[in-house]
Amino acid sequence: MSWLTEFPELSRETLVAIRKSLDNSYREFSREYGESIELFFDPLLAFLVWFEKLLLGTPWWLMIGIIALITHLAARSWRLTIGVIIALFLIGFFGMWENTMRTLSIITVSTMLSILIGIPVGILMARSDRTQMLVTPILDVMQTMPAFVYLIPVVMLLGIGKIPGLIAVIIYAIPPVIRLTNLGIRLVDKEVLEAAVSYGISPWQKLWNVQLPLALPNIMAGINQTIMMALAMVVIASMIGVAGLGQPVLRSITNQYFALGLLNGLAIVVLAIIFDRVSQGYAKRSQKYLGGRE
Amino acid sequence: MNKKMLALMSSFVVVAACSNNSDTAKEESTQTKAAVVEKTCGKVTIAEMNWSSAALMANVDQFILKHGYDCDAQLVTGDTMPTGTSMIEKGEPDIAPEMWSNSLRDALDKGVAEKRLRYAGDSLSDGGEEAFWVPKYLTDEYPELATIEGVKKHVKMFKHPEDPEKSMFMGCPAGWNCQISAANLYRALDLKESGFDLVDPGSGAALSGAIAKAYERREAWFGYYWAPTSVLGKYKMTKVDFGTGIDEKHYMECISKEDCAEPKVTMYPPSSVQTVTTESFAANSPEAYQYFTKRSFKNSRMNDLLAWMEDNQADGKIAAEHFLKTSRDIWSQWVTADIASKIDAAIAKQ
Repeated sequence: MSWLTEFPELSRETLVAIRKSLDNSYREFSREYGESIELFFDPLLAFLVWFEKLLLGTPWWLMIGIIALITHLAARSWRLTIGVIIALFLIGFFGMWENTMRTLSIITVSTMLSILIGIPVGILMARSDRTQMLVTPILDVMQTMPAFVYLIPVVMLLGIGKIPGLIAVIIYAIPPVIRLTNLGIRLVDKEVLEAAVSYGISPWQKLWNVQLPLALPNIMAGINQTIMMALAMVVIASMIGVAGLGQPVLRSITNQYFALGLLNGLAIVVLAIIFDRVSQGYAKRSQKYLGGRE
Repeated sequence: MNKKMLALMSSFVVVAACSNNSDTAKEESTQTKAAVVEKTCGKVTIAEMNWSSAALMANVDQFILKHGYDCDAQLVTGDTMPTGTSMIEKGEPDIAPEMWSNSLRDALDKGVAEKRLRYAGDSLSDGGEEAFWVPKYLTDEYPELATIEGVKKHVKMFKHPEDPEKSMFMGCPAGWNCQISAANLYRALDLKESGFDLVDPGSGAALSGAIAKAYERREAWFGYYWAPTSVLGKYKMTKVDFGTGIDEKHYMECISKEDCAEPKVTMYPPSSVQTVTTESFAANSPEAYQYFTKRSFKNSRMNDLLAWMEDNQADGKIAAEHFLKTSRDIWSQWVTADIASKIDAAIAKQ
């Protein structure tokens, strides 16, 4: 009657056998297909390397100017723009310019990819309850599974560096934009849709001209969250060899260099604030233009 | 006489309580009483570091302290830097079974000088083996890769993951002590001029993952690693000879220091891997401390054990059981005969 007091678990030998056979089949898979998967990602890698070199190669003053201009165009606030210029200057002054540019490059690319993949998936989810049922648990897994559980297998497949880092960042950061795109479209007023349909619009026009614009505030909130989560992954990504602000943070954690850790941490925060204000400022202004409908 | 009786009784109670879990509270109170009378070790915390050999040692120590010396031995998770710092500053945990002490030599020496710590003995009698390695299948094909000149000659073979014009030399993860020594040797060996880029894997897991990836696909790989480890137990690698021998003085004074201005080429000296205990543990439990002065593994034996762990995906606890069951000839030398028989009895019960 031992099952009453002890959980009827698999024997250790069986468990080990299962674990080992799974591990071995993964090894075989990586041996078989690893190279072709690497080849598949090669164009993306080339783009990442090119973009990083571009950011690093641009003179610092031009770079600050470009970022300030983007900030100003998006947020239209002199105070913010001047703050951004000062913060970026301080980052460079404390010797973190190159690492900041590396981080900026990988975060920009992974955010772009997250948006490019995330919004269509969100739209699909909003159009069919079955897709939503299917995708939601996957998103839950992506957000909660400890990163290293899937990172080390990815390293075995693709090696260390930018591509595994990018995959890790996207897996962690993409769920908010998917979820909020889905939610935003589902929250669009039924009556508005009926009115639009009664004017005889095509499904494509309905999506593009009615649903997406009305869902935009939610979608922008999702994008904003995605950016923040991508920045939160900087340190994890550097644990698989992605160069950038994460590496000095790691070094400072293991050696208890508190000041070094704090400085680089603050540089990540500055990037986060810039991204946040730019995307929010843009969102606010695009909502203002929608304001007439209220 | 009376003392001995009590000790005997207490160990009887412990054994009895082991077979009856509901009596834990009673057992504990009796044990504390006995400990006061007998002056044995009481509660001891052992740092279980997050790599296989250290986990194995911690579990062996726990078993032996618990059953041989009647200590209330507990494992706490640890890592070289945090555990070392905490032992020096807070006197906790009591024992670090496998401390790669070069990585915080100054702090530990200071702790010993201030009578907070003791170096009990060498956990690995041959010391840790650090080096630059290439996979064995490469040296089988190109024997000249076993020397640094050969590696430099075949520089194009070691592809860089991100830059087709460069080659990759994989250094040590950010923040580890070996990051400094590997970077200094990278400079001393003129690897940069030869076309190698020093790549930071970022973490121990990524470093071993990269080795596994190269090995599974028979790719070229050149970088830093250390032994005894399950990685080198499983993936056979060849040590790259620098042709200079070991200049230990220069290594200690320059290569291992961050501000080394003119690094010269030297092989890694064996790094000392020690058992470190707190002074309070050593003073309060001299008998148990004696065990740690003797407890030591040979690298060859440790490699076998690590390979066994890897094959069976065993954790420290199971590996410790395996070791205690199969290697009485080794561990019985670490303890006195009567304690060995107590441990035998405990193993038989497992």
